[in-house]
Amino acid sequence: MTRRLVISLVGLLVVVLGSFAGNLVADNTPALGLDLQGGISVTQEPVGEYDSASLDLAVERIRDRVDSLGVAEPEIIRQGDAIVVNLPGVDNQDEALRLVQVTGAVLLRPVLLAAPNSPVDTSSTTVADGSSTTVADGSSTSTPGDSSTSAPVTTFAVSTTAPGGPSRGVPQVATTVPGAETTTVPVGSTDAPSSASTLATETDSSTGTEAPLGAEAPAGSDVSSPTPPAAMGDPADPSATIIVQNTDGSEIYQLGPSFATGEVFNNDAKADIITSGWGVRVTLKSGSSGSDLWNVGAAQCFAKSTTCPTGRMAIVLDGVVQSAPSVNQPSFSGGVDITGSFKESEAKDLARVLKSGALPVRLEVQAVQIVSPTLGDDSLHAAVVSGLIGVLLVLLFMLAYYRLLAIVVVIGITLSGLVQWNVISLLSTTNGLALSLAGIAGIIVSIGVTVDSYVVFFEKLKDELKTGRSLKNSAERGFKSAWRTILAADIVSLIGAFTLWYLTVGSVRGFAFFLGLSTLCDIIIAWFFTRPAMLLLARTKRFQRGRIFGVDNTVNATGGAA
Amino acid sequence: MSNELVTSRRGILGRLYHGETSFDFVGKRKIGFAISLILIVLTLGSLLTRGLNLGIDFEGGVAWQVPSSETMDVDAARAVLEENGVQTENAKVQTLTNGTTTSIRIQVGDQTAEVRAKIQSDLATKAKVDVNEVSVSSVSSSWGRSITEKAVRALIAFMVLVGIYIAWRFEWRMAFAAILAMLHDVLISVGVYSIIGFEVTPATVVAFLTILGFSLYDTIVVFDKVKDNIDKFGLSRTSMADITNVSMNQVLMRSLNTSLAAVLPVLSLLVLGSGVLGAIALREFAIALLVGLITGSYSSIYIASPLLSIFKQRESRYKNLKGIHATGAELAHMVITGGATGAKSIRRQNVDSDDSSAATQSSPTSTTLLTHPPRPRKKRRR
Repeated sequence: MTRRLVISLVGLLVVVLGSFAGNLVADNTPALGLDLQGGISVTQEPVGEYDSASLDLAVERIRDRVDSLGVAEPEIIRQGDAIVVNLPGVDNQDEALRLVQVTGAVLLRPVLLAAPNSPVDTSSTTVADGSSTTVADGSSTSTPGDSSTSAPVTTFAVSTTAPGGPSRGVPQVATTVPGAETTTVPVGSTDAPSSASTLATETDSSTGTEAPLGAEAPAGSDVSSPTPPAAMGDPADPSATIIVQNTDGSEIYQLGPSFATGEVFNNDAKADIITSGWGVRVTLKSGSSGSDLWNVGAAQCFAKSTTCPTGRMAIVLDGVVQSAPSVNQPSFSGGVDITGSFKESEAKDLARVLKSGALPVRLEVQAVQIVSPTLGDDSLHAAVVSGLIGVLLVLLFMLAYYRLLAIVVVIGITLSGLVQWNVISLLSTTNGLALSLAGIAGIIVSIGVTVDSYVVFFEKLKDELKTGRSLKNSAERGFKSAWRTILAADIVSLIGAFTLWYLTVGSVRGFAFFLGLSTLCDIIIAWFFTRPAMLLLARTKRFQRGRIFGVDNTVNATGGAA
Repeated sequence: MSNELVTSRRGILGRLYHGETSFDFVGKRKIGFAISLILIVLTLGSLLTRGLNLGIDFEGGVAWQVPSSETMDVDAARAVLEENGVQTENAKVQTLTNGTTTSIRIQVGDQTAEVRAKIQSDLATKAKVDVNEVSVSSVSSSWGRSITEKAVRALIAFMVLVGIYIAWRFEWRMAFAAILAMLHDVLISVGVYSIIGFEVTPATVVAFLTILGFSLYDTIVVFDKVKDNIDKFGLSRTSMADITNVSMNQVLMRSLNTSLAAVLPVLSLLVLGSGVLGAIALREFAIALLVGLITGSYSSIYIASPLLSIFKQRESRYKNLKGIHATGAELAHMVITGGATGAKSIRRQNVDSDDSSAATQSSPTSTTLLTHPPRPRKKRRR
């Protein structure tokens, strides 16, 4: 029994102090929330029709953008359907708003020019003079050709009339015939009479085998080019001619006005193995808002008309080219296959983009809050100072009331504080949790609850002592009954914390988290620290001798039994 | 075994310290109920006539905060609003003092982004500060509504879940009493806000929720003791009023200690944090907490427990004992020894006429009180 108590006590100390040291070494400190640090908070909510997956994608897009801007410790949280973006240290409201407003809307634009985005800034000149001959084709093994062959290219193809089904007899030809014309040679299909199901050719004739097109999307921002091209045209304006990069910044494109949006597709894009490699298969909506629109663009690209000289069509999400496949047939009906040298993950990312493009999320800004950093500084300072003084007062009070026993309270509260510090620091680093003013206040208030578990215990202990039991016995029985009370009361707090956390947004939610955390800490400390500490203390000679507990041994009056 | 009552020889503080008080909470319940009734009537009256001063987070709207200077005061701020064609009748313009700096806070209904930005720059020009020093917060009214709805829904869900838990862990009467006491706290806290006209912000809501949790926690600790005592007094025909009184007195010191431990940090936040150090955000929070803490502590003692005693009296085993309750020395005896008094059990026989006297006469009550009789205390050297 004694051994178990010692193990529990030592174990807790090792775990708590160990993780504290670990956090110190790793330099994990609690991140400060917006209200403490100053910055901008934008809350957006989707309106109209949307699905959960596109909302997730929107959150990722926002995160990419915010990360690429280098905002320190941004907080991007999905609360129910609302997306809350907290940007500490940012004070330009317009910029913040521009940053967070993503739609997931996909634009389909003809590629006017494409070129590898070399670190040396040749791209702009290339595009400017419109000459395709300046496009470097490095160590390409294929015949030097025009720009359309010099880049990694994926292709569009029809998957006959049955979307999703394997396109039997539709060969995926990997044409490596030199020359521009070869890339778009449709391979006649023998068994697709009406739908002209021809096919895709053109594989990766690129120089760098490691840089196929296609989305590395969500993580793309860290590999963005060191020399971003000069912006030209607003990517959000469908009718503008723009210059943009692909997701990993390896290629740069000049794109013409959009002829359609991702909404021409059904919301059913999925990554699949198409013939030999990974690709994406998606079906077209029928009629004027779907295949008709799409086919207009496809025909232009297929014919390499002046509006689409490269024969490639770019899938653009928020100003980044996700993929720019060549179009291999003038007309599509039913489904479209996008093939190329995709990795599985890339195909899946592209499928996700298309799905979200098919049903773009329209986010509406619901709340913008700017917290001036000076207010934040003052508040933080005041909260910390007054909080610490408050704790000190409580401890003094405990000391006056329970005398020597208060040492257990002091150590217990310190441990509880350390546990909370550990958890918050860790979550700050890993999950972007930020400590808000409401959180700090919640913790300060929870000191009352933590102290209460000691008070409950000590009072029960006194009751037991009064009935004439020995100290050791009283401590055990007292803890047992106090534990029941503490657990019952803490579970109510936990239920409350969880309900609030689950059902609310904003600061109330943050508060609920910290309330739950401090309640859990209370339970852990009561069981793993207070229990062994008190039971062990109760066995020592020093404590058994009399008035140390503030319990006066006037027990003899009880029932006159003694 | 004598029938002599055990009473304490200590003064009031000593008795409090040693948990030997003998306050007749149940007997005085009408006073508590009357006070609460008055407060609730005041609250309802104020809510109907004055309503609540809801912040922009709940109603939607725009708030600017600009450092005040010689050129920027309340009138100048109103002028800026008027220049931009914003109605000023409902605008709230106030001067805030935060430590050494003062600023003007202007709050109006929902505005478009253009108007928001225009007023921000106009205010900055007028106050001769950089645009970035003027902070703007805006909340659309639909979002504000949904926040409010969510909070109310969360509160209802919270009460239902907690009620179920208490009913399962204790009994439904306790759940009922605890939740009534909690509603009482919410009402009165809201009333204080309505009467004084404090602005209700998300921080206020957070504070109220803290208090609800705390008040409930407090109530449960008391009820746990009541439950203990119900088991303990199970065989000894003690009235519910007595059991409640005994429990209340036994946990009184704990309740006071805990409330004090909770109030100290809050007072520190209020006096030091927002007073001396001047953090306004803390003041709202601390005031809400203080109001709630006081009503919460009050309600677990004067509302929750008497209510429970009333509910429990309907149970058949306590029905016959209704109206009996010990006071003064008798109560003190019960509190200290945790047992019924001999004197009272004799009296009870007289009251309880249809009970056959044979059963109650025999055993001296004190032996039936403890389920485990204590081991005789070893005599130690004094």
